[in-house]
Amino acid sequence: MPRLEDLPDLTRQGMLNFPAFDHDDSPCAAMSKPLNEAKIALVTTAGLHLRDDTPFSSGDQTYRVIPSSTPASGIIQSHMSIGFDRTGIMRDVNVTFPIDRLREMVKRGEIGAVTEDFYSFMGAQRSPRRIEEETGPEVGRLLLEEGADAAFLTPT
Amino acid sequence: MLARAIEETGLPTVTVALIKEHAQRVKPPRTLWVPFPFGFALGNPDDPPFQQKVLSAALGLLSENDTPVLAEFTEDADAPPVLLQASAAQADAANSDGDPADEVTALRGYYERWVDEHEGRTMVGLSGVPQRQFRGLVRYLQAFADGEDAAYDRMPDGVEPVRFLRLASDDLKAFFMEARFSQRPNDRDDELQRWFWSETAMGNLIASVASRLVEQGDAQAANGIAR
Repeated sequence: MPRLEDLPDLTRQGMLNFPAFDHDDSPCAAMSKPLNEAKIALVTTAGLHLRDDTPFSSGDQTYRVIPSSTPASGIIQSHMSIGFDRTGIMRDVNVTFPIDRLREMVKRGEIGAVTEDFYSFMGAQRSPRRIEEETGPEVGRLLLEEGADAAFLTPT
Repeated sequence: MLARAIEETGLPTVTVALIKEHAQRVKPPRTLWVPFPFGFALGNPDDPPFQQKVLSAALGLLSENDTPVLAEFTEDADAPPVLLQASAAQADAANSDGDPADEVTALRGYYERWVDEHEGRTMVGLSGVPQRQFRGLVRYLQAFADGEDAAYDRMPDGVEPVRFLRLASDDLKAFFMEARFSQRPNDRDDELQRWFWSETAMGNLIASVASRLVEQGDAQAANGIAR
């Protein structure tokens, strides 16, 4: 699907017209230690959350905390976007939120640790100002406070 | 966008992106573009070695600091075809004269087997209605779709009916899909979608719920229900 040239015209145009925010450059924070010593956080915009947490609603720019010790069975999705195939995530949440894969990397010594908390937002937002200015930076600060060295972000 | 906001707090980030054109414009600090569909960021479900390859490729970018960094993951997973949308499948709706509540009963054993075999993993559970009570939930959806002034006594407190209809529809879709995974383990995802929207009465019912929401001016709530 994301090979835009392979999409039907209507879908491709919809994707290209979806608001993206142009920037000329990128911020850069360098990681201060090698990966095998680093504490890694997982942050997703796939609208996932704990089974008993409040589902996302339309335009919801808040986030949900998913402790990294959560079993995959404790995670559910309430993404409000249209037009994506949910069957992959129903089969295996790791296809979008690799919680088991990261724990395996810690066991193998490929990363130092995972943060205690992972975070989730709902993606496909047309006007995500609050995430940009408030809830996104808040998650960055919370992760720094618990000693995160880097964050891995996954889309829907 | 989120990656930029987090990086600006001083925490290094790396992002998986599905649409390269967007990554080129937004410029997250470090991006691994992958050629997979929405919902399949790390390639294939139930394929840990492949998921690990994508994950390791992404984490490997964390040592690069000449941002923006945009790398490409070129190995193609066996990605499923583009999602078949309800509107396309409805056109050849055929065998869906049955009762969706009876379909729920018929699929229950398959659904429960799926959950048992996957350590309790299930995407059913948004509405708060236990799957054992889905027959009653179906009756409520049918009454709503038929334009009756329907009420449902198990609706959670504080949840608007329109929102409840959305969550309930998502639960029923997940129940059917997960049951079908168990019943027909070799079906591809497009076959599952075609089955649900073309061959089940539940697919018809959910499309009717969406239509009714649009008719009563709740198009936003209907958005995405029938897909």
